[in-house]
Amino acid sequence: MIPADGRVPRGDERPSGPDSRPWILRFARAPDRRQAVPAAEAFYDHQQQIFLPVHGDLLPYMGTHHPTVVDGDPKNPPKLDEGAKD
Amino acid sequence: MPGPILVIAGRDDWPTDRVVKILTDCGAEVFRFDTADFPQQMTIGARIETGHPWSGTLSTAYRTADLAQVEAAYYRTPSTFRFPPEMTEAERQFAQAQARSGIGGIICALECRWVSHPVAMSRAEYKPFQLQQARRCGLRVPATLITNQPAAVREFAARIDGPIITKPIASPMLIEDGQLKTVYTRLLHPSDLKDLSGIDATAHLFQAWVPKAHEVRLTVVGERLLTAEIHAGSAVALEDWRAAYDDLRYQAAEVPAELRQAVLRLMDRLGLRFAACDFVVDLAGAWWFLEANPCGQWDWIQHATGLPIAEAIADELQGIPA
Repeated sequence: MIPADGRVPRGDERPSGPDSRPWILRFARAPDRRQAVPAAEAFYDHQQQIFLPVHGDLLPYMGTHHPTVVDGDPKNPPKLDEGAKD
Repeated sequence: MPGPILVIAGRDDWPTDRVVKILTDCGAEVFRFDTADFPQQMTIGARIETGHPWSGTLSTAYRTADLAQVEAAYYRTPSTFRFPPEMTEAERQFAQAQARSGIGGIICALECRWVSHPVAMSRAEYKPFQLQQARRCGLRVPATLITNQPAAVREFAARIDGPIITKPIASPMLIEDGQLKTVYTRLLHPSDLKDLSGIDATAHLFQAWVPKAHEVRLTVVGERLLTAEIHAGSAVALEDWRAAYDDLRYQAAEVPAELRQAVLRLMDRLGLRFAACDFVVDLAGAWWFLEANPCGQWDWIQHATGLPIAEAIADELQGIPA
């Protein structure tokens, strides 16, 4: 299950020193937000049990086929990334 | 009339919508919920006794499922239980544990077609376990080291005939200091290994770099193997295709017959009915297993290649043979 506060580890602190910070995190970087695709406005329909569009008639799932790339916004962590295994 | 198909998924997992739509269009009875619905928007009443398995109902304001009649269940990243905000933190943690063991236990006890069973998915998340099982099934796996010892890293790098990579063993992302960051697969240069401070801070994975002709995302649904070649068009994409989606080209393909049997053996060993498996195809055409994602994404592959992955999942849930 995904924790209530999301699946991405989070904290407000700055990175610690080189001896305590995991070595691999020296290669961590903000993802390229130019590849991010904004999610369409949608609402969940309890009868059909799928999301329906707020605007237009294209069902939101029909627009999900862009690879979901994180946009770097910590308030909007990815839900459909390839990296974090569920 | 077949019994209900449970879809246990995060509400915002939109590719699941695609599966639900196919199932309902086929006339299947679907009961979708997110475990976050419990206990405020969903109730459960279940009992077991000698001579009778678990029976009872799951109910929301919109529908009820008879647990004894459940035909199949699709499990895909449900969210954790959500409790009233008035609860204290201690009460919330207590209730969380009770719910996990109670409703989580009932879900796990369902004897139906699973895509896939959550216990199997949980176990299969461990990359070292996957690699061991893949090797046992006859798949090639790159030489891999997991360690927190700097000396072991240097020894491994010296022993491997060629470059090595590092990649996270678990989630590649974190949010710190107000920034969301991710770690992609990194092809290491000798200079990267000069300062290994922090290796001892946790487990790290190192692996021999396999020179790539291309990569393969092999989506397995039951006995169905849906194969997509991923061709990188840049050095960044070649190192880790997740880092440069715009530089990728996809092509539907076929899995070699001997690989097919090995992959199906692996799925059997992992107890999975769905996995998105990553392979490298080397310059001689040999396939190297990298990992199996029990909950991997598939929707963009279907769009790019036309491979009928959503339909395959729906068929598997309905017991329609390949």
